[in-house]
Amino acid sequence: MRKTRRLAAAAAMLALATVLAACATTSSKIGSGPTKVAGKPLNGGTVTVAEVGESPNFIFPYPPSTNSNGYNVNLTMGLWPYLVYAGDGGQSIVNPQESLYQSLTYSHNNSVITMVLKPWKWSDGVPITSRDFTFVYNLLKWNYQNWIGYTQGLFPVDVKKVITPNAHTVVLDLTRSYNPTFYTDDVLSLIALMPQHAWDKTSLSGKVGNYDETKAGAKAVYAFLQKQGGIMGTFATNPLWQVVDGPWKLATFNSNGYYAWVPNKSYSGPDKPRLSKVIWTPFTTDTAEMNTLRSGTTIDLGNLPLNDVSQTSDLEAEGYVVGVLPVAGVAEIVPNLWNPVNGPMLRNLYIRQVLEYLIDRTQIVKKVYAGYADPGNGPVSTLYGQQWDSPLEKAGGPYPYSPSKAIALLKANGWKVVPNGTDTCQHAGTAAGDCGPGITAGEPLQFQLMYTSGIASFDQQNAAIQSSEAAAGVKIILKPEPFNTIVSTTGYCNQQTHPTSTCSWQLQDYGYNPYTLDPSGAGLFNTDGFGNYGGYSSAKENQLIDATEYGSSSAAFFAYENYTAEQLPYLWLPNASNIFVFKKNLAGITPWNPFSGTLNPEDWYYVKPGS
Amino acid sequence: MSASETLAFGGPAEAGEISSRQGAPSGGGRLTLAAFLHNRRTMSGVGIVALMGLFCFIGPVLYHTNQVTVNLAIINQPPGPGHPLGTDEYGIDVLGRLMVGGQSSLELGFAVGIASTVLGALYGALSGVVGGVGDGILMRIIDTLLAVPLFILLIIVASMFSLSLSVIILILAVLSWPGVARLVRGQVLALRNREFAQAATSMGSTRWGVLFRHMIPNTLGICIVTATFGIADAIYALSALSFLGIGPPPPFTDWGTMLTDGVNNLFNGYWWQVYPPMFALVLVVLAFRQIGDALNDIVSGGQTGRVFARRRRRFGWVPMSTRYE
Amino acid sequence: MTWYLVRRLAQAIAVVFGVMVLTFILLHMEPGSVARAVLGLKATPARVAIFDHLYGLNKPLYDQFGVYMWQLLHGNFGISYQYQQPVSTLIAQRLPRDALLLGLSTVVALVIGVPTGIYQAVHHNELVDDAVAGTWFTLYSAPDFLEAFLLIALLCVEFHIFQPTFPGGISSVVGVLTDWRALVLPVFVLSINSVANFSQYSRSTAITVLASDYVKVARAKGLPRQLVLTRHVLRNSLLPVITILGLSLPGIVAGAVIAESIFNYPGMGLLFWQSALAHDYPVMLGGTLVIGIATVTGNLLADVVYGVLDPRIRYVSQ
Repeated sequence: MRKTRRLAAAAAMLALATVLAACATTSSKIGSGPTKVAGKPLNGGTVTVAEVGESPNFIFPYPPSTNSNGYNVNLTMGLWPYLVYAGDGGQSIVNPQESLYQSLTYSHNNSVITMVLKPWKWSDGVPITSRDFTFVYNLLKWNYQNWIGYTQGLFPVDVKKVITPNAHTVVLDLTRSYNPTFYTDDVLSLIALMPQHAWDKTSLSGKVGNYDETKAGAKAVYAFLQKQGGIMGTFATNPLWQVVDGPWKLATFNSNGYYAWVPNKSYSGPDKPRLSKVIWTPFTTDTAEMNTLRSGTTIDLGNLPLNDVSQTSDLEAEGYVVGVLPVAGVAEIVPNLWNPVNGPMLRNLYIRQVLEYLIDRTQIVKKVYAGYADPGNGPVSTLYGQQWDSPLEKAGGPYPYSPSKAIALLKANGWKVVPNGTDTCQHAGTAAGDCGPGITAGEPLQFQLMYTSGIASFDQQNAAIQSSEAAAGVKIILKPEPFNTIVSTTGYCNQQTHPTSTCSWQLQDYGYNPYTLDPSGAGLFNTDGFGNYGGYSSAKENQLIDATEYGSSSAAFFAYENYTAEQLPYLWLPNASNIFVFKKNLAGITPWNPFSGTLNPEDWYYVKPGS
Repeated sequence: MSASETLAFGGPAEAGEISSRQGAPSGGGRLTLAAFLHNRRTMSGVGIVALMGLFCFIGPVLYHTNQVTVNLAIINQPPGPGHPLGTDEYGIDVLGRLMVGGQSSLELGFAVGIASTVLGALYGALSGVVGGVGDGILMRIIDTLLAVPLFILLIIVASMFSLSLSVIILILAVLSWPGVARLVRGQVLALRNREFAQAATSMGSTRWGVLFRHMIPNTLGICIVTATFGIADAIYALSALSFLGIGPPPPFTDWGTMLTDGVNNLFNGYWWQVYPPMFALVLVVLAFRQIGDALNDIVSGGQTGRVFARRRRRFGWVPMSTRYE
Repeated sequence: MTWYLVRRLAQAIAVVFGVMVLTFILLHMEPGSVARAVLGLKATPARVAIFDHLYGLNKPLYDQFGVYMWQLLHGNFGISYQYQQPVSTLIAQRLPRDALLLGLSTVVALVIGVPTGIYQAVHHNELVDDAVAGTWFTLYSAPDFLEAFLLIALLCVEFHIFQPTFPGGISSVVGVLTDWRALVLPVFVLSINSVANFSQYSRSTAITVLASDYVKVARAKGLPRQLVLTRHVLRNSLLPVITILGLSLPGIVAGAVIAESIFNYPGMGLLFWQSALAHDYPVMLGGTLVIGIATVTGNLLADVVYGVLDPRIRYVSQ
């Protein structure tokens, strides 16, 4: 149980990332095809995947705004893939082969999109047409308030009108200009097509019509589909959900989260499934999953808890291979710059530098995460998207572990340093050599660090931070809390609003912030970013982020990256990778695609033993 | 009022009530120091507890270790020179940790055992002496408290305060007294009908006089037995909390938390993180059981173990409705 | 007797109501926003407002309680925030599984515990008494998760005798029974943990009975030892056991979160625990209600059955 929450929390956040997209990208990166593992593929076979934590509870691809279960994507993505297929192998690029569009053209100053759909078919043989897109648009137009994936101001609200010149062409007339890459990568990559010819009705026995074309009709159809989409007992039997355009069909679904996919025989895409069945089997905790892995037979692919990394050799003896998936995101301690008690302290850059200097990230990676983690040198992971690493981050970031530098900084700013005690401010004031604005004489250098409880590696990491900070007299009081409690008590705090009720948190380590396709800081570090809980605000930062959004040079990105790394809007932490184990005769699993929101079993196949 | 009437108002029959229904307690009933000291089993139990106390509280004076600073460089080291029982996942010496953890476990156990017994005994005695409708109301309050889910309380308290040993002692004491109260009430109801109580009343003693002069001293036996068990249960409860991930933050530890962390590493082969705290925990619980059992024999006149058996409500078993009593 | 039952029933309802009120207040004492806890860190204020409106969380507390109780009277337990399923459906899925697992464990503990308790009583204060008690108490004092892990390490990982977890495909009690081998370990762990209760209870009672006059008389009349043990001692030793069984009812309904999490057996314990973590109020309230009812029912049953079995107890009305 102690190890259980990570995956659930991580997966939920990953799903949120895909759902609530960030607001910018940089250069266009539509790239080459995937690198597939070679081998003598066998046709057929069943793969059983262990799913830890929660399980899906909604099958209609547009869940209501109250349903934030990130596992629903796992269930629906294989059945109704998105227009734009994000991620290709391990690379953060769009995969044009698997995407539903043939071409995407931006015109009229990037405010009109002309999309030509591929001549693919639904599983019942009916062609996929532009009418299916207008069906989606019409439903969302009248119901976007009740769609969990809706982001303020974006699709469908930003669409002036949709024109369909022919059966395969959709013209989207937008209300404003967008960066094309942003719209492709982060908006169209969240829209699944729906079969108008099968779903445009208001009751199970009712006839299909063009109900979506009126407001009342669209509301009725959407309500009907959402209602059906929540009845777990009929997921596998409801005829609605048997009409799919993805590589898979749902064959079985038990209310406890156990479900099975079988290939969609009429799938039009290039990656036709070779396996004859994929089973997703639920585990209550990774303890239970790990015990099952260790005893052998029933799981073909599962997550290996970090705690058990040292057992890889035993698992290899049981016939497994270990694979590592770096997580696309940034792990951090968020400092609350507007906490009523020590917000003023944290607003001083040198205090944040002291805190960062005292975190021994290299050792945490080595000892807590057994080497399977990004060191967290700055806002961008070094294990991921090599093209995004600035030389500064590659070299270890601006603040490598150094207690002596931390102590020197404190002394230079008028603090009395008491190693293993609590430092106090000796020279209050704002002159050079003083503690800085908002810090009173005698004030202790003390912070409460809230972190997600129930994860052994988190306990280990934060206890280590507490000890290494104490070496320079920075007192950290640890407060582990369940993930949801942290979420519910963390308010947005900034210069304008920082009520005591929601801004009493000081430092916080809830996990990590996932990135969508691009590791951009938009949304995290700009003044009104949705991930900017601590109220960091800098005109220069905003400007640098804007530059990455509209410019295309890596110089602009590196400028943003280095400035952010130095300014410490977050205190950077190591970000643990996901470790998976799978049966050694199973191929096509690596390289992972962390961006598609789920696993891609259509790429998997068994190989002949010995080949 | 007859013993049978008590049942009409009675809450669920607890062990104490059972004995009351089977006639008045026979024999001595009152615990004397002499009886205590002359009982072979109490003395062996007390001996073990005393040794453990010495180990935990005096041990660190002789065996110096840093139990506060995490040292990632030396985590999970097997027993060897410098660390006779190896190190744990924080790089802290396990032998030293066993002592410090034992301090927390014993402090927790004693504090909760005593606090809940005192509170429960007073409430239960009051309820028994008042009798009638008042007794009914007091007992229904207890039923209500026992049915409020533990998890809710724990998570709420944990989100409002930083969980420290004293907060946990407070929570567990608050949660465990209702069970004791029921037990003592049953005993008081039985005693109330005995000659000495009736005689005292007829000689002009007030209700409260009877309560303090006769009832409470006469229930002392059960109270001590209850307390010995409260100790073991509190230690167990904290281990369950850490297993569920809502125990106090590191570097705090106790035997239960050590076991939880150790079990996490069991498949890694770090046996030195599992067996020492397990041994210590089982030994102490058995010692307390020995004391409780023997005391009970003394209290009940050397022949039965009547009030001894308590139903322990455990996390694994009864996770939330009730809790270990 | 009828009047007694009526009064007990009225009291029981009052207690359950009290539990609900107390739980409701406790839940709302929790700091922070429920909507944010459920919807996640990046929930926009607009979405929080929709959530609060949908579930009536923006109303005053007494109003919310009134609405909840009104729904409850109409058999509506509400919708789980987290699972997006009716609470009654969730409980109906989980409860039978726990009834099976914990019911079975209780019976096993009983079957082991009572005879050994009587055996200990017969050999009271002999070495064997201490040895048996010592064994049960060692098992009792080691936390159940530890026992579970040690057994899994030995029987599942080392020797591959058992599957350490329930297969995920099983959703019904019938399914559990067809795969009964998976039940062996959890039932074993749960029952060895509670044998001490039963054996200690029956030991205490048996000692008293053995010392009583009627057993002495029976023996003096020349009744065989075996007959005395079964007819008098066993029967009387069962009395307190019935009480414990009654008191075990809420436990059976409430599930066993630790065993459920280790053995991949999603029951009431895990449901309740995860709801508590996720601030899933409707599930917590529904669970509290079910457990509250089980508690008062168990108490009532224990007292009534006890009265039926023990002729010395009469229910009187005032």
